[in-house]
Amino acid sequence: MTSPIEDSFEELYRHAPCGLVSTTPAGEIIEINDTLLGLLGYRRDEIIGTQFIGLLDAGAKLFYETRQKPVLHLSGEVREVSIALLRADGSSLPALVNSLVLTNPDGSPRITRTAIFDATARQEYERDLLLARRSAESSEARVRVLQDISSAFGLSASDEDVARSFVEIAREAFFASAASVLLVDDIGGLELVAGDNALFGRVPPIDELRATDDVIVVTRTDAERDYPELAVVMGEERVESLSITPLLDEPRRLGLLMCFFGRDRNFDEQFFDLQKALGRQASQTLIRVRLQRQLAMLALRDQLTGLANRQLLQEKLSLAISAAHDSGKPLAVVFLDLDGFKAVNDELGHKHGDDVLREVSRRLRDAVRQHDTVGRLGGDEFVAICEEADLDAAASIADRIRLAVRQPIEGLPEHLPVSASVGVAMYVPTEDELPTFDHLLNLADHAMYEGKAAGKDRVTFVRR
Amino acid sequence: MSLIALSGEHVLVRNNVRIVGNPHGPTLMLSHGFGCGQDSWRDLVPYLEADYRIVLYDLVGAGGSELDAYDHGRYDSLHGYAEDVVQILDALDASDVTFVGHSVSSIIGVLASNRDSSRFKSLVLVGPSPRYVNDGDYIGGFEQADIDLLLDTLDANYLGWSAAMAPVIMGNADRPELGESLTESFCRVDPAIARHFAHVTFLSDNRRDLAQVALPTLIVQTVDDVIAPTAVGEYVHGQIQGSEFVLIDSRGHVPSLSEPATLARVIRDFLK
Repeated sequence: MTSPIEDSFEELYRHAPCGLVSTTPAGEIIEINDTLLGLLGYRRDEIIGTQFIGLLDAGAKLFYETRQKPVLHLSGEVREVSIALLRADGSSLPALVNSLVLTNPDGSPRITRTAIFDATARQEYERDLLLARRSAESSEARVRVLQDISSAFGLSASDEDVARSFVEIAREAFFASAASVLLVDDIGGLELVAGDNALFGRVPPIDELRATDDVIVVTRTDAERDYPELAVVMGEERVESLSITPLLDEPRRLGLLMCFFGRDRNFDEQFFDLQKALGRQASQTLIRVRLQRQLAMLALRDQLTGLANRQLLQEKLSLAISAAHDSGKPLAVVFLDLDGFKAVNDELGHKHGDDVLREVSRRLRDAVRQHDTVGRLGGDEFVAICEEADLDAAASIADRIRLAVRQPIEGLPEHLPVSASVGVAMYVPTEDELPTFDHLLNLADHAMYEGKAAGKDRVTFVRR
Repeated sequence: MSLIALSGEHVLVRNNVRIVGNPHGPTLMLSHGFGCGQDSWRDLVPYLEADYRIVLYDLVGAGGSELDAYDHGRYDSLHGYAEDVVQILDALDASDVTFVGHSVSSIIGVLASNRDSSRFKSLVLVGPSPRYVNDGDYIGGFEQADIDLLLDTLDANYLGWSAAMAPVIMGNADRPELGESLTESFCRVDPAIARHFAHVTFLSDNRRDLAQVALPTLIVQTVDDVIAPTAVGEYVHGQIQGSEFVLIDSRGHVPSLSEPATLARVIRDFLK
């Protein structure tokens, strides 16, 4: 039956405003309408009996087999699938496809009906969207890498903190299975500072790779040819390729950033550019953080002698007081003032005076225990903070100091001897309120004065 | 890499592991291919469930897996997926497992058993290809340009109606269930992950890993598989010493859907 206006259903099928094709469950084309033949430029007899998949371009074939067909099989229909068909002349026809499976009474598939719409116009528009999206994605990755994060690291940031951050950024930006930062250590070797590096310590250092000035990529195949020992370990650790990016503070080497990949990837120009940019970022951040640390250290050091200055002494002593209180172990504060220093200054001038202060500082450092803190309060006044030191220990430290200072100083005439008056304040923790920095220091200062008044070059104790 | 140690329970949730069939039977682990989820085994399971304990799971990024678990670095090669397989078997404390991998999952099975063969008994590789892109004398069946076209096709299909976009299109981003009907309920995959997974699947080269397989191995191939041509199946057969090779008289890349009865029989015969 046809409505009075349509000529016939057959006519409607053949010239429907979309392509129509029917296939067997095995994918063989059993019916096709003229619209689709016209779109593709085939004759009917060239198509009937062939495989539907034969009409698809390579990308669509992969998609059709791995996704569209399984979904169609499982759900019985697919809608608005975007795939490209191949015309007889080899050109591509972007299409939108709907498919419907008709089943036998037992539920098994009988026939698949597919409608195909020419989507050339839509495709062009989508293509633009797609390209825009891809370029947005890739610039997003760039921004992530290039974002200035160096200022995010505060005064207390260590090289490890910086290295850890860049390991994370590298892993995310490059989809690396692992990444690591190696930094040059004091003796010129490389130290693994952050991240995972399954090769480190398992392959003898390859100087050529370590000394690279530019980003390099080594695949397992490259390694087999050039560095067989590396290739073996790469195989064992499932590393198919790796990248090495130098961290430089021209002309100095700071270290390397390494990324590891479980497959041999397409390392394009963008990869190398981004690695380079990230390497620059990491280097600059390391340089900045190290500089910050150096400045912070300088601010806490006495410029003449390199000993702790008043501010650092105050911080250390405050910490030591709480630590002593917590542990119950006594704390000794040793205060010393030089005897005879004023005469040196007056007679020989400040330059000689400074030399004496530097020499005394060296001797103090040698006289105390390894973990004691020695500082200069100013002038010729020095302090040593000795944690976990009982009376005996404090007495022996103080006496070592006294003896060390009174040794003759090179360049000083005999009539200008230098010695030390030493006062020791002992803090033996009790339940009482904690003493303050000033309080302990004043006690030690007074003890020192008592000693000086009693005849110099001696040690005087006071206990809180 | 330093992953936070996952509890066994978490591994099973991450990969949406389901166990069906005969709890006393030998264990089959079914691992789906690119483009689908564990539902691609739907038609095969009825032929095997009476006799086998069947472990089903979704690769991370597919089906009901935890999408949050997708770490691009970890899954930038098939090794990440292989490690998941080992973790799942550990979590189940399974032994004597026959791993049935379809398509890309056949290589995942190869890598998993190479990594730790202790829980495996044998491998069944359905439509395996260690490398899709031609390379010198090696015929994988595709050129790099073909893979680029696939990525275009994927993008074109996910642009308009992906799970992520549908709620936006519907204007109901705060009520995602309204967008649900636009997306497919079968073979759910996350579009962004599918894209990366396509790279990993079709641009990996795992030819070297085949020679290390030391388990009884069956290679199943269909007569006209455009994804993994017969020559590739034969190559795999040649690389895995002592492997068996069976050609199923069926077209297409997914015999678990097109020929489930035949595939089940082939697996049974191999395990006899």
